[in-house]
This record gives sequence, C-alpha cells and structure tokens, in this order.
Amino acid sequence: MTHLIKMGNLLLVTRPKYDDGTEYLSAYAMEIIKEAKKREIIVKDFEGPQANKKEIEKYLKLKNPDILFLNGHGNEHEISGHREEIIFSLENINLLKNKIVYARACFAACSLGQEAVKNNSGCFIGYIYPFSFWIDSKWSATPLKDKIASLYLIPSNEIILSLLNGKTAGESDKKSRKLMVDNMKKILAMEQKKEPGATLMLQILWDNYEGQVVLGNEEVIFKKKNFDTSSAST
Amino acid sequence: MNKEESINEDVKELVIARLDVMPSNYKLSIGDMGTFTKDDLIKHVRASDSVGNQIVKMQFNFIKALTSGKLIDTLNKNG
Repeated sequence: MTHLIKMGNLLLVTRPKYDDGTEYLSAYAMEIIKEAKKREIIVKDFEGPQANKKEIEKYLKLKNPDILFLNGHGNEHEISGHREEIIFSLENINLLKNKIVYARACFAACSLGQEAVKNNSGCFIGYIYPFSFWIDSKWSATPLKDKIASLYLIPSNEIILSLLNGKTAGESDKKSRKLMVDNMKKILAMEQKKEPGATLMLQILWDNYEGQVVLGNEEVIFKKKNFDTSSAST
Repeated sequence: MNKEESINEDVKELVIARLDVMPSNYKLSIGDMGTFTKDDLIKHVRASDSVGNQIVKMQFNFIKALTSGKLIDTLNKNG
C-alpha cells in the first residue's frame, strides 16, 4: 500500500479556554504539545484569546503547517476558537486542504470535514456526533487528574500522538478506538461492581466511538523534516 | 399518544432513571451546548429541549448498539 508522506516540522494547535469543556480540551491538548516538543516538532500554540481567526489564518498562510490539532466547539459547518469566534468555515476551507487535521470539535466532520478533503490528498479526522465527556467536578481545577474525563480524552489524544509518531491517519484512528474499547471494558467492570452511573458513562463513550470518522486519505503520514529550527516561530 | 411518542416517553424515563443515579459531582460536557449536572440534564430531558433531545438521541443510539449486537461485537473484536 502506498503511503502519502507529508514532510513537515510544524504542528498547529488551537486551545480556546473559556468554559469547562474547552478548559479540559485545552489541558489535554497541552499534553500533546509536550510530546511534540520532545520529538523536536515545532508547535504553534494558539491558546485562549490567541485562538482567533485573524492570527490563525495569518500563520497558516505564512508557515503552511502540515498537521493541525483543532480543539474547541463546532458544528456541521464551522469550528470555533476562543469565545466561539468562528475560525474555520466553508468560506476559508482552502486553508484545511492538503493537510492532516484532527478536529476535536462536535459535528465538524459532517460537512466541513467532507469539504476539506474534497479533491485533495489531505485527511480530516473528526466527529459526526457531539464530542462529549463526563467530568468529575472535584477535579475541574486540575483536569489531568480527573480519571473520569481521561476515559474520554486520552483515547482522543491518541489520534494526534500516533500521527506524530509516524502512524497513518487510519492507524491513528484504530489506536484511538482500541483505547476507547479498553476504557469501555473498564466502565463495564465498574458497572459489575455496581458503581453508580457506569451505564451513562459507557453510553457517552460509545457515542464518541461511533461518531469518530476519518475522511479523505487514510494512508497519509506525517514525517518530521529536519531543518534549522532557530528561525521558526514557536 | 401514538406508538412513536410512547417509545420516546419510555426512553425519556429510562434516561431520567439513569441520570438520577449519577454521582452529583459528575457533569457532562456536550460541546457548545455546555456542561451540565445531572439535575440540569434531568430538567432538559423533561423539557424535551435541544439538550434533552440530544441526551435521548444518545440513549437511542446506545440501545440500538446493544440490541443489534454492535456493541458486543466491538468489545469482542478488540479483545
């Protein structure tokens, strides 16, 4: 099977932070940023108010990163940034073409993702359902310690982590699904111990599992290109 | 009440019963709809508004996966 290799050294991440949901997504996305930096991948992190259309469009046009990790709210036609400012829509869909995109945003794979991969070699991984997760509010100030939320967010992080590790988009999706299934089994074990709420926890994870899709070129691979990083913006 | 409405009402009651046993410190984040406690969710399901309908839809999907064997197949395939 032929893999399409995208050589690059830049990862663009959007991390709006203005409600419980985006605070959690942002905290877990930060773990990916740390992993990317360990692999000497240059990360452009649009955090909080920086996750706005003007700055992101400018960066994309200037630096043309191959891989994008978008966190935030979404709908069938749009992906938002900070305080629901629309960053990507059909109007600027060209910015997502020929790229590897993972959009951790509700419904973005329905229409926007389909358009992003039309007539090009890129790939769009996202959701055709809402991306949902349970939070244990005892840990809402420290999301990474929230073992309930991690049942949902660690498998989703695996998509981008696997891509950074040189797996194809299809393989990255499979690895993420495997972790989701492992977590479903953990939840079922909780149910057998009669832990309250396990059924609804499983239901939400199943919804994420069913809603996760890979559109476009599943064989695309991100490979780190080695070059002088001293002049690159981080 | 027709058959479809009756099924919807049954599923709503099932969702409410399941929500009722959630620990009170748990909240559900559903994208831009927001983050909800179990009491919020029960209110939304009773009101049959967009949030409530989304929860009921998720319940339908889950029941379908259970009854069709899709959930069990998925768990076994990845075993």
